[in-house]
Amino acid sequence: MKKNMKKIVACSLVAAMAAGLAACGSSSSSSSALTSASDTTSASAAASTESAADTASSTADASGSGSGTLRMSWWGGDSRHNATLAAIDEYEKANPGVTIDSEYGAWSGWQDKIATQLAGNSEADIMQINWNWIYQFSSDGTGFYDINNVSDTFDLSQYDQKYLDLMTIDGHLLGIPVSTTGRVFYWNKTTFEKAGLEVPKTFEELLADGKIFEEKLGEDYYPMACGEYDLTLLLTYYMQTKYGKAWVEDGKLNYTIDELTDGFDFLKSLEDNHVIPTQEKLTGDGADSLDKNPNFIDGHYAGVLEWDSAVAKLTGALDEGQELVIGDYPNDIGTPATVFKISMGFAISKNCQDPKAAASVLEYLLNGDGVSTMALERGVPVSKKAQETLQADGTLSGMTFEANQLAADNAPFALSPYYEDSELKDSSEGAYYEIMDNMSYDDEDSADLAQELTDAVNQVEAENAQ
Amino acid sequence: MAGTKAMTAQQQTPTAVPHKKGFWQRNRGLLFVLPWLFGFIVFKGYPFLSSLVYSFTDYNLFEGITKAGLFNYAEVFTDKKIQRAFGVTFRYAFMTVPLKLIFALFIAYILNFKIKGVKIFRTIYYIPSILGGSVAIAVLWKAIFKEDGIVNMILGFFGIQGPNWLANGSAAVFIIVLLRVWQFGSSMVIFLAALKGVPQDLYEAASLDGAGKWRQFFSITVPLITPVIFYNLVTQLVQAFQEFNGPYIITQGGPRGATTLVSLLIYNNAFKKYNMGLASAEAWVLFIVLMIFTAILQWSQKHWVYYSDED
Repeated sequence: MKKNMKKIVACSLVAAMAAGLAACGSSSSSSSALTSASDTTSASAAASTESAADTASSTADASGSGSGTLRMSWWGGDSRHNATLAAIDEYEKANPGVTIDSEYGAWSGWQDKIATQLAGNSEADIMQINWNWIYQFSSDGTGFYDINNVSDTFDLSQYDQKYLDLMTIDGHLLGIPVSTTGRVFYWNKTTFEKAGLEVPKTFEELLADGKIFEEKLGEDYYPMACGEYDLTLLLTYYMQTKYGKAWVEDGKLNYTIDELTDGFDFLKSLEDNHVIPTQEKLTGDGADSLDKNPNFIDGHYAGVLEWDSAVAKLTGALDEGQELVIGDYPNDIGTPATVFKISMGFAISKNCQDPKAAASVLEYLLNGDGVSTMALERGVPVSKKAQETLQADGTLSGMTFEANQLAADNAPFALSPYYEDSELKDSSEGAYYEIMDNMSYDDEDSADLAQELTDAVNQVEAENAQ
Repeated sequence: MAGTKAMTAQQQTPTAVPHKKGFWQRNRGLLFVLPWLFGFIVFKGYPFLSSLVYSFTDYNLFEGITKAGLFNYAEVFTDKKIQRAFGVTFRYAFMTVPLKLIFALFIAYILNFKIKGVKIFRTIYYIPSILGGSVAIAVLWKAIFKEDGIVNMILGFFGIQGPNWLANGSAAVFIIVLLRVWQFGSSMVIFLAALKGVPQDLYEAASLDGAGKWRQFFSITVPLITPVIFYNLVTQLVQAFQEFNGPYIITQGGPRGATTLVSLLIYNNAFKKYNMGLASAEAWVLFIVLMIFTAILQWSQKHWVYYSDED
């Protein structure tokens, strides 16, 4: 009896350990599968195509199967999480059979996580994606589900074709464009007033303001601050505006070495004239981003070139009494041409067991009743229906909207989808960072910097074109 | 003759049957290690061997394998960034390990005295090891070492202009070294256990012979705990060469790659550039480097490690 008891205990322990090991493994995509398959006939699909446009805010009716569990992932800050969770909650209440498991977190490390999930086929059914991810993770157009196949459930007519084209590879619509964003100049009006200045409207004024800041406010005050990637975007603005050409054309950087040398000379003049702090100074501040930098928060750094969707983040970061305003695009060197792109999208996993149900969720969130709840948490929506809803709500106003409109009106050129390729943009090893650091730390020759940047951009464009 | 054979078979039968029935009984241990063995094969053995295969290919996480060869290893030995990462890792390891061991031994030696409240001190000194690498530690370290942070404020109080720790390459390496040295708790506990094992009568005899505390420490304590020093040296060296958390959370490999250790480079190649082939080759070269160092240490121990049971 005692011996048997020992055996039972031993076997139980082994079983428990084995179960524990199994539990340690991948969560797998089993939960991603909706338990019941869609059995919509082609006839009913055709019928629902017509009804989808009419009932853009449809809820349960648009669901593929009407029951099951979907996984949905996104990154963002707390306010985006709360708004998305509330919208999901509303969807679940309206569709009692559907459960959505949410996976969300901060941006830091998010792309690495999603890349690993995609490689292991364990990604969520619905994913918030960056625009360039469709090129990075699905260069042959098969990495995500083709949303054209569920156009009877998701109302694509709410989107301009030019935006849908940007999310399309080889005829496959790999994501729904959620919002657009562009780089905008923001100025801390309070600091400029303290220096007895108005916010600059031209680069000439900005260059003159640097020395005035230094003399009147002290050497720790700068009219602007730019990290390495911001400098690249500022260079892009300068080049596109001055030379009236897109950054990349036909898979190549669209400027001669002499033209680009002029661009780097301009960036150097900003450091030389005390307009921007050096990269050494910024790194020494010990902040991950400008909105977390104490020198930006208290007004020592009085300007930034940021995405229009970053307004809330920037204004929220400033100390009390500081006023942030949207600046005019400097136009003394040419017609303003800022960087403007699709900021993010939503994709459906190619492994999703019920894409129709996933499309139904997206329809609710992006075109339907969820729009009011999600508001501007992902920037100004691209969907016409969403814009109408937010206009009616009175949400489509304020600095985020103004900044987005301003950027959209000053963006004559399309951005290369490889502009943000990790070979260029990655903060640890990307070429943008290396080249801008070479400029700031080593004061490397502008012509050499121009050559390095040209080589790096052309290489990435060529590799992706293969 | 046939009767003899039949009898032999009969005689053998009782011994043969328990042999068949008793496999799991005789190999009961195997049953107990099966869960571990399963975990080892699936989570360690398979990735270990597959990474070796991948290291000879251009395996990309999203594009698969298109060619095979030695090109990844050629890149490891010729690429300046990779060589720099190995150089930084060597520097990091050779700064961290001695500092950490000396510090851990020093604190363990003090905590071995019969001081009032010594248990509280032991707990306090172990706390940094529990904290490990986290966002909170990153924030703390940046607050301490930023240009106008606490360290430079203290240095400024004494009229010393501190460096821009986070922006200066050499200084940045030093602060990630300091993070690991600060987390000396586990080595300290092992040293403490070893110190307690040193026979007191040796100290008493040395005292009678007029040996001071320093002499006792270097002539009695250190020789008797050399096996533990050796153990800590090997484990800490392996850990230092594989360091990831410090540079990842505090400096992200910067400034300008000055703190990009090999493990961070492997991570970047694998999960940012999705170049699993190159990342695997880097991992294997690191593994071989570690094996060489461990072998050297193993060989050297006969010259300086004292095992009391060898006499």
